[in-house]
Amino acid sequence: MVVEGCCLCYRFWHFCKTGVSYQSGFFVFFRQSFAYFMITNKSTEPYLPEDLPRVAVATPASSASRILRWLLTIGILVLVLAAILSNGLTSGGGRIFLAQRFQTFVTIFLGIFIEAAPFLLVGSVVSGAIAVFVNQDFIDRYLPRRALPAALAGAALGLFFPVCECGVVPVTRRLYEKGLPMSVGIAFLLAAPVVNPVVLISTYAAFGWGPVLWGRVGFSFLVATVIGLIFHLAQPRAVLLPQVNVAHDEAYHHHGHAEPATQSGLGTRFQQALMTAGDDFLDMARYLILGSLLAAAMQTIVPQAALLAIGQGPVLSVLGMQALAFVLSVCSTVDAFLALAFSSAFTTGSIISFLTFGPMVDIKSSLMFLGIFQRRVVLYLIVLPFLLTLLIGIFWNLNIGV
Amino acid sequence: MQSTRLQNTLKALLLIALGLFLYSRIANGTLFYYINERFMGFTIVAVFGLLIVGLSYRYSNAQTNAPQDHAGHSHAISWRGALIVVLPIALGILTPPQPLGVAALANREMDLGMNNANQSLASNSAVVRPREKASVDKNILDWWRDFRTLPNANQALAGQEVKVTGFVYKDDRYGEDIFILIRFTVSCCVADASVVGMLVQSSAHQSLQDDMWVEVTGTFVASQLENWTLPIVAAQQITQIDVPSQPYLYP
Repeated sequence: MVVEGCCLCYRFWHFCKTGVSYQSGFFVFFRQSFAYFMITNKSTEPYLPEDLPRVAVATPASSASRILRWLLTIGILVLVLAAILSNGLTSGGGRIFLAQRFQTFVTIFLGIFIEAAPFLLVGSVVSGAIAVFVNQDFIDRYLPRRALPAALAGAALGLFFPVCECGVVPVTRRLYEKGLPMSVGIAFLLAAPVVNPVVLISTYAAFGWGPVLWGRVGFSFLVATVIGLIFHLAQPRAVLLPQVNVAHDEAYHHHGHAEPATQSGLGTRFQQALMTAGDDFLDMARYLILGSLLAAAMQTIVPQAALLAIGQGPVLSVLGMQALAFVLSVCSTVDAFLALAFSSAFTTGSIISFLTFGPMVDIKSSLMFLGIFQRRVVLYLIVLPFLLTLLIGIFWNLNIGV
Repeated sequence: MQSTRLQNTLKALLLIALGLFLYSRIANGTLFYYINERFMGFTIVAVFGLLIVGLSYRYSNAQTNAPQDHAGHSHAISWRGALIVVLPIALGILTPPQPLGVAALANREMDLGMNNANQSLASNSAVVRPREKASVDKNILDWWRDFRTLPNANQALAGQEVKVTGFVYKDDRYGEDIFILIRFTVSCCVADASVVGMLVQSSAHQSLQDDMWVEVTGTFVASQLENWTLPIVAAQQITQIDVPSQPYLYP
């Protein structure tokens, strides 16, 4: 684990310094398996500054690699289907059982989608309002640009934008387009699902004043700030999707060029805000739907007992709960109640990891990150919180108590 | 799809269709197959929100379109994107709405609220204190909490009257005439569903099938299964019922 972590750290530094990803087999695999989900971002070629040598970068998408990618995707789908089929056919009941499995899959998928849709819509409306009514000067004036204050401000911003993990994504993207500094956005994206009033209340309701509540909030803040700080060094063009970056660049460097249309009337501006909200919702709903599909499939296939049986030890219990958090994709406003059910059987460190890691990263939110960031950045945004919360969980178990 | 007009029409249709789909789940009473009832308000807000946002495209004109192009942020939706957005509606319409059942038990942990016979009850601080209710009003979750929190629940509850509803899961590992009566508990949406169940002893065992919803009336009998103690319901009457409008229990 440590070796793997260092290896990823090295890749990350390499990426920060040069803007070029150090490609390994896994990265190529990740890129290829998710490439076809990217709809607006048709080009899979990363942005490359002219003065950098083109080392170790995937070749541009030719028709051959396109076909290969499709074949790979279809292959994975067939394998998954085969896994479900064999599972259904061998456990008796045959096709009827299989049909019920599919029914369960659909119910869970719709459950996640119906639950998340209102929050995504609220996030999109906030995003639309920011697009039309918030001036870039506002961000310039009130948000710090120096590394540490910026990351801290980002992590605390959730207190003023009470959005959960679905709503935070369109808001973050819109704020980037308004010229938000890189580290503020990353810290906001990671911290806001926990550091916000609604989640604080629900965690208090489940666990009361105690180490779990303070640990959850404190460590979320810490992890988000640290990752925000790391991204302070990264260049926006290497982090953001091209279409987000164009607006970001314009706003960040040439103040006042992309002002909202202040000359139009209030009614028109309201309508602009609503239409932008609709665009954002549809844009993000694609990722939400794909993420919900994946999460529902995992919930139908992966036995929870297998994840929970991984272990009771100070290390394995943390890994088990992190895996569970990733697979379940439960909204951060209620995951405390779910964690409560595990709290008697699992170590406190693992519960804190579950409550810290889950809201930052799970199947559906990491797919939604693809709407803002380039794919390798999304991978870092999964791996870095994973490693940090793993460390925190293990440290807690070993030094503070189980 | 280059034309802005076509784009706007498509987006408006998608948003309104999603809103109507959510509304259909409220209207036909199947919304609670998917989420906890306390989140219904959010769904209603989403229905109105989607309709309003969708209708706002109706009044678009050249002036309102301008700022988007100006920001250099192309929001064109492709046919593939539209297909993905249609997916929940299509799946929702093509498969009949049905709450989680026996098929969902396969990969979930079932908690029957057993206590270890050789240990005194550990303090289950994690279990919320049971609300005071008459015994015939208690549902499976209330009883399950009693099992977990009452000292020596096995003996203490013996003889109490029980009237509970749930669906049948036939699993003869606890005895030939015993089936498990199950409810799922949902705190947010079905993604966080967990299972609570009760063992029911009945001679009418043969006529029951998996996933059948029943109301069971009976009394508790103290019992011991290997090292575990658990009150079992000795059924006096088992009636088949329709799927309740709220199939899940809310912790």
